Amino acid sequence: MKISDNIKRIFAIGLILVLSACDSYLDVNENPNNPQDAPISGLMINSVYESAYNVFRVGDITSNYVQYLASPNPASSSDTMDPVSNNTTWFRLYNVMTDLVVLIDKAEEQGAGHYQGAAQVLMALNLGMGVDIFGDMPYSEGFNFETVTPVYDSDESLYTVILNYLDQGIANLQGPTTSSLGDDDFLYAGDIDKWIAFAYTLKARYMVHVKDLPSYDADELLNAVDNGFASNDANAQLSFFEQSINPWSDVARDNANLVLGGWISEQFIEALDGTTYTTVDPRLPLMVGATDDGEYIGTVNGAGRGNAPEQGARSTLIEDQYYTGQTSPVLISTFSELKFIEAEAAFEGDKPRAYQAYLDGIAAHMQMLEVAQEDIDAYLASPEVSMGEGAFTIDDIFKEKWVAMFLHPETWNDARRYDYQYENMTLPANLNPDLNGQYIRRLPYPDNEVSRNGGNVPSVTLLDRIFWDVE
Amino acid sequence: MRNITIAMIALLCVQFTWGQMISGNVTDSSGEPLPGVSIIVSGTTKGTTTNFDGEYSIEATSGDILEFTYLGMLAQQVEVANQTSVNVVMQEDSEQLDEVIVTAFGISQEKKALGYAAQSIDAEAITQTKQTNIVNALQGQVAGVQITNSGGAPGQSARIIIRGINSLDPSADNQPLFVVDGVPIDNSTVEAGVNDNGNTPRGLSNRASDINPNDIESMSVLKGAAATALYGVRAANGAVIITTKKGAAGQVKINLNTSVGFEELNRLPKLQKEYGQGFSGEYDPSSFWPSWGAPIAEIAQDVPGHKYQDNWNRAFDTGIQTDHSISVSGGSENATFYGSFGRFDQKGIIPFSDWARTSAKISGTLKLNEKFDFSGSINYTNSGGNRVPHDRFMERMMYWAETQDVRDYINPDGTMKTYSNTNPIYDARFSTYKDDVNRVIGNLNFNYSPWEWMTLSYRLGTDFYTDMRTEITPGPKGIDNEVALSSTGFIEETRINSKDITSNFYITLKKDWNDDFNTTLRLGNDIFQRKFDRVFLRGENYVIPDFFNVNNTRQIFTGQAKSIRRLVGFYGDLMVNYKDFLYLNLTGRNDISSTLPKDNNSFFYPSVNLGYVFTENFETPSWFTFGKLRASWAQVGKDTNPHILGATFVSDDIFPLNGQVGFSRNSEFGDPELKPELTTSVEFGTQLSFLDSRLDLDVTYYKSNAEDQIIPVPISDGTGFSSYITNAGEIENSGFEVVLSGDIIKKSDFQWTATANLSMNNNEIKSIREGIDEIVIGSQFGYAGSTVTMKLIKGDAYGNLYGTSYERFGADENAVSLNNGLPTVIGDNGFPLTNSNQLILGNAVPKWIGGLRNMFSYKNLELSFLVDFRADVEQYNQFDNFLSAFGKNEYTLTRNDFKVFDGVLADGSPNTQEVWLGQGVGPDGVDYGAGFWRNYYRGVSENFVQDASYVKLRNISLAYTFGDRVLDRIPFKSMRVSLAANNIILYSPWDGFDPESFSAGAGGNAVGFTGLGFPGTQSYFLTFNFGL
Repeated sequence: MKISDNIKRIFAIGLILVLSACDSYLDVNENPNNPQDAPISGLMINSVYESAYNVFRVGDITSNYVQYLASPNPASSSDTMDPVSNNTTWFRLYNVMTDLVVLIDKAEEQGAGHYQGAAQVLMALNLGMGVDIFGDMPYSEGFNFETVTPVYDSDESLYTVILNYLDQGIANLQGPTTSSLGDDDFLYAGDIDKWIAFAYTLKARYMVHVKDLPSYDADELLNAVDNGFASNDANAQLSFFEQSINPWSDVARDNANLVLGGWISEQFIEALDGTTYTTVDPRLPLMVGATDDGEYIGTVNGAGRGNAPEQGARSTLIEDQYYTGQTSPVLISTFSELKFIEAEAAFEGDKPRAYQAYLDGIAAHMQMLEVAQEDIDAYLASPEVSMGEGAFTIDDIFKEKWVAMFLHPETWNDARRYDYQYENMTLPANLNPDLNGQYIRRLPYPDNEVSRNGGNVPSVTLLDRIFWDVE
Repeated sequence: MRNITIAMIALLCVQFTWGQMISGNVTDSSGEPLPGVSIIVSGTTKGTTTNFDGEYSIEATSGDILEFTYLGMLAQQVEVANQTSVNVVMQEDSEQLDEVIVTAFGISQEKKALGYAAQSIDAEAITQTKQTNIVNALQGQVAGVQITNSGGAPGQSARIIIRGINSLDPSADNQPLFVVDGVPIDNSTVEAGVNDNGNTPRGLSNRASDINPNDIESMSVLKGAAATALYGVRAANGAVIITTKKGAAGQVKINLNTSVGFEELNRLPKLQKEYGQGFSGEYDPSSFWPSWGAPIAEIAQDVPGHKYQDNWNRAFDTGIQTDHSISVSGGSENATFYGSFGRFDQKGIIPFSDWARTSAKISGTLKLNEKFDFSGSINYTNSGGNRVPHDRFMERMMYWAETQDVRDYINPDGTMKTYSNTNPIYDARFSTYKDDVNRVIGNLNFNYSPWEWMTLSYRLGTDFYTDMRTEITPGPKGIDNEVALSSTGFIEETRINSKDITSNFYITLKKDWNDDFNTTLRLGNDIFQRKFDRVFLRGENYVIPDFFNVNNTRQIFTGQAKSIRRLVGFYGDLMVNYKDFLYLNLTGRNDISSTLPKDNNSFFYPSVNLGYVFTENFETPSWFTFGKLRASWAQVGKDTNPHILGATFVSDDIFPLNGQVGFSRNSEFGDPELKPELTTSVEFGTQLSFLDSRLDLDVTYYKSNAEDQIIPVPISDGTGFSSYITNAGEIENSGFEVVLSGDIIKKSDFQWTATANLSMNNNEIKSIREGIDEIVIGSQFGYAGSTVTMKLIKGDAYGNLYGTSYERFGADENAVSLNNGLPTVIGDNGFPLTNSNQLILGNAVPKWIGGLRNMFSYKNLELSFLVDFRADVEQYNQFDNFLSAFGKNEYTLTRNDFKVFDGVLADGSPNTQEVWLGQGVGPDGVDYGAGFWRNYYRGVSENFVQDASYVKLRNISLAYTFGDRVLDRIPFKSMRVSLAANNIILYSPWDGFDPESFSAGAGGNAVGFTGLGFPGTQSYFLTFNFGL
């Protein structure tokens, strides 16, 4: 009896040993490559970097539509306004917004108000960029994995969300924080006042979009302008790195190596070289490259380069200019943009203010490019530029803003609000026949979203407008 | 009772006596003595075996019948007259190999005892195919087994699927477990391109290609869950059991094998040769557009040398392969050895592609005494080559002007010679990707039988490899006006270490309860571990051009991915044999996997199968040689990949930036409540044999349901993740397999045998997890909205391809499939309208596959051929999409024609409007822009989802074995020469390269997309075998 009990006991102990050994032997599934949690600082670093990159990604899509750039090949879909599936851009927008939602929650938990506020500002930036190109987007059921097929929120309702983020962001940035931004803040290295000015500047940007809607409030907009950037010093921009170079610089470098891209549209060249306007813009040689003969020749959108060779006969982005140095900044939002917003907002009620803001906007951009003061003065003295308050029109604002916002995605928003009425702008050659001779008004939803969330994706054509784009 | 064929009897007349001693020797057909042949006096218990020299002696009486039996040989009966010496030559029985089949854990079982379908092929059938990759050698030979070559690149992976796709996971490895001499080996394919930079496919190898086919004795394919139950989760998709050659007692044998082969493209799309470079019909020698220009003949009058260059034929080389191997084997009654050395070299048809394999193997068996035996083997392989960017090569061929010589690709200073576009051959030469695999597979087997009824067995196996990969893309050389492959250039060093360890211990208990009833019980424990570590180091932007070292680059990126997977299994297996006609087999196995959540990581699954040999149970007519019915029910569980559970954070390899490291939430989320998958399958079958096995028939019906499939479901990025790994659905596969074989002619100097197999598979998505409407398995780019997607939708079959189509008049708005019987709707401008809704355009899983093997032998001459086919299958022809976008297909010749499109207007009235198909302003004064092919045709997926069936002459081989008259004069014991040809397309409606090729590689399930991958090839071989 006893012996068998002992045997049983030994057997039982043995079994437990074997099973527990088994347990620890099998306990090797924790991910050895990716941590389970990340610090708010790490999330902030990546979010700022990706937000700036998203400005490039969207700008890369829209720069051909607004005829900054043109493809060297005829009938290129980027020029002809064909439906192109932008899976990557969509994914990147949501990827950084997801990180920002995580960051906002974590920062709130930790009482890190400044991280929370900065993240809210970046959230507004990315959501705004998305809504302005895609319209309705998943939001209210998004980010937290409540469902695998999130519904789409209307573009109009998302604008309320965007402005809320900015208001909350401003409040949090003005409030207390348990930890402060520092070297992990690639935008401002922890300068909270600049973050607040950035938030106000974004507010101004989104408020001016709805200028043609009843909800528009010019006074509130001008109040945001007053709290926005006071100079180029506060510009929201990410200077790139040796390790990861400026993406426009990359385009220019590729083109120099005959991986063609970054060719300048004829529309842009002619607007600056004295063709469309008589005044020659001193910024032209600082923004784009010349031909081998030292001339500035653009490419017609949709027509390709014709008989021109791959190099030396057309203007393209070239390395090491203001926009194309390896460590050049990608501009997210600038003082100059704010001045043009101010000009547009004040135009109806306070034309002198509008006119001054217009001139300041030009000067701010020129100073940013380090145009010589005498050239700035000469340009501003040109009667075509300083036409005087009386002759000053809304067209002048859009024209100069278009130059000052070179390569920026915001220009496509302007172009659509302005019905592409830029001087001499014409439809690209080989235009997508489905557009019936009209300009594109939005991007299609990307293929991935159609296939993964088809039931919720709104059915739209490229002629359907974003809510603020009033006919 | 089968195979009772008396082949040869040597009779000597000796005096008649009672109880005389009979002696003699037994040899095989080549005269080698056969040790261990068992000899019994029929109807008695008297018996003996031959000794090491094949000699025996036995007491017998006149009138007795001596039965000689030996595994793999035809049994013989010799009636004793009054002689004292009986010498017997045993004949090999290829069918006998079918009889004994190697099943799970390398256990040899009589096929008649199996309650499930299994099929085996022997060494000759393997080596005859001249395939370097053992997976390819199975092609067309085994019912229910689908092999797909991913392409013709040297060493490129081949994919094997048994009984359809069992997993809905687009990236799941649906391939069976490969087991060599009882120990599983790694057959994964690690494609290039986990990093942003190297995302072009390179056509890497599946690791089973490290095995030298010349070392293989036989391969059996275990198809269903019942067959593989003992292997557990790793064999949930079936198993391929490989038995390698062993030494045999007797004289030392030396075999030499040498072979040389040539290969070439087996098919080209139909191309136009009339129009050259440019756009809108205008000649432009620097245009990006290769074929939308002016007629070549017209321009040739003014431009000297302007002509159609026939680049598609000239860009490819004739591939060359050589294969040499030598093996030495021999042994005594108690110890045997086998050693081999092989070297294989291949140069592919895409210039600068190559692959080589050097393999060495040594194995031995040792029988210490009646109770203890021991065997082991070690196999070393070095393999690798230069993997050209084949996808990019073909893509660049698309863009390359047909009037520019693609072979004239390099300037004297080493820069690329081009009119503007990147030259594909220059890229293939300088954008190198070399892998260098060193692999050791070893195993040890111990068997100890303390008593006759009990055996303890232990198997230990390791499979260890390092894979050193170097990818180099040069940057600019700093020469004016050069076209560089990359603006910066980069070098990426990848180091992969993978180590598998398998330990398997089991006890076998045998008991004969009485004459009618015996049982075998196995109980065991199985442990598996795989450690994998991949590290990469990439340098970009060379300081000194063309000095390829990471130290010479300005930006450095690094990354690491490691994983560990462990499995512990306990199993039991009971076999019951009742009167040799009823066989029952019960198994149960419990696996515990490290990859699943702790609460769900232990799972049990049973199986039962029954074989009933009715011809042993009751009398059947004499022509009815053998008949068996079998049935099985089995379950098998399946775990998942390691380290996928929950949400994690990742850091991009660009960091650190200014000393700061950023993190982002991983876009993949693994369900923390994940359960193991469970596949339940039933199988019924019959094995019949007629006319003394002249005719054999094997029919199987199977159905398997894989539930709780673990799938990374692609989800809206808006959710915060892009992929959700969860138990998402159930898939059902069912089908028939038929194998029919016959010895059609069986004369002494002429034989003809034929084996045909045919399988039909149906599958259906039974359910998908609530909240998920559809699962995207894969998609491939098509121009202007013609991207084709493979999606899973409840109630549909696996493999449906979705895309855009022409608008059809009167089509049901809710229809999910395209009804191409309806008329096309023509728009106001006279061109057909596109329906951008995603409709089912075809299915990429072949419904029917099969093969027919014929072997003829006449005296010393042998002819064999294998024809295989697949039918009822569609694929997305991405080549065709590109060719039409660039004006290269033959059908774009009609570009200057007027046409009235067949169809109806929106109101149903017939279309009568004539339109021009060309580019720019037509003769009718209308501006047609980029023209019909670019504006309409290329944007409609329907045009490119095409019938991809084929009938192929997979292999044909003619061999001559030299007879004694020749052999007497040369120093060889045997000599054989053979000629073979492979992979010749006999019939296919497909317009393109070999429809079998696809770009994704063997690792995933996204078949049905040709991509722009390495095109298929046909090859020819000359082989010599020598025996010493």
